[in-house]
Amino acid sequence: MGKVIVITSGKGGVGKTTSTANLGTALAMIGKTVVLVDADIGLRNLDVVMGLESRVVFTSMDVIEKNCDLDKALVKDRRVEQLVLLAASQRNRKDDIKPEQMQDICERLKEIYDFVFVDSPAGIEQGFHNAAAGAEEAIIITTPDVSAIRDADRIIGLLQNQNIEPINLIINRLSPALVKKGNMISKNDVLDILNIDLLGVIPEDTGVIASTNRGIPLVHNDGSPGAEAYMRIARRMTGQRIPIPEMRDDNFFSKLLTWFSRNQ
Amino acid sequence: MDFRKLFTRKTKSNNIATQRLQLILKQDRFEVGEDSMKKLQYELTEVLSKYFEFTMNSVNMSLKQEGNSYVLIADFPFSESKNL
Repeated sequence: MGKVIVITSGKGGVGKTTSTANLGTALAMIGKTVVLVDADIGLRNLDVVMGLESRVVFTSMDVIEKNCDLDKALVKDRRVEQLVLLAASQRNRKDDIKPEQMQDICERLKEIYDFVFVDSPAGIEQGFHNAAAGAEEAIIITTPDVSAIRDADRIIGLLQNQNIEPINLIINRLSPALVKKGNMISKNDVLDILNIDLLGVIPEDTGVIASTNRGIPLVHNDGSPGAEAYMRIARRMTGQRIPIPEMRDDNFFSKLLTWFSRNQ
Repeated sequence: MDFRKLFTRKTKSNNIATQRLQLILKQDRFEVGEDSMKKLQYELTEVLSKYFEFTMNSVNMSLKQEGNSYVLIADFPFSESKNL
């Protein structure tokens, strides 16, 4: 029996879909069975990020309307075994699905797969509630800025009211250089404010743009900082003890550099 | 040239962001607890009515932000005190 994890953020554009694609791919690469569920009905994107858009025939809506069986709607990944996608309908609206229907799909999927990731739409409306309906755990994605953290806090409150536990955090697009200069909120400050457990930190990685252009998740890009961070998170999720690397370095030389940049 | 600028270090923007967030979240988190506020008003009235006579609908409670903290302002106009 697997687990259903909703990936959400409140604010849009912080990397929910990118993180869903990469975490799912990473877990499948280390041997887990994974299904990615796009819950962003009407504005689906997970198929594009995965590079699977041309393979989508049926959607979760077709499953609900009994136009096809659940396993027929699952699109196999092009690169990784044991990784499938359940796409969202592009013709429907968020409130065309009821929370119980989403819950039912998740229940059926977790009997087959180790990990069921639900990619939530932005916002706190019906679409978010549907995405969270079948989830027992949550991963919050935030970027280290005031708006994203504020929205993350609101979402955490809503998830706690639904007794979703644990709620873990991924800080996305952190720039160690900016943190060092004092121009970006640090990992520890984000954790102090949101007060939930940290699953990992993804450093700013411009490689994401090319990987989305190609429809090949970043984790296939061996050695890139973002790919390594996602792989570490995936290992952590399978219970391995992988420490979260500190992104500051306080040797004499870097202190000197900081001093100079501060006094410029 | 402003010499003061040379010697006073500008507050780092991350510190400003963190301070702003703490204030914003205090407000956000409080707004979620609207129900607790009603409950508090009810319970306070119950306790106070042991000592004073007043009509329930004249009670007025509100929260005001003063700088970094919040102040609870409660008006309980009473007609007479009870002889206990």
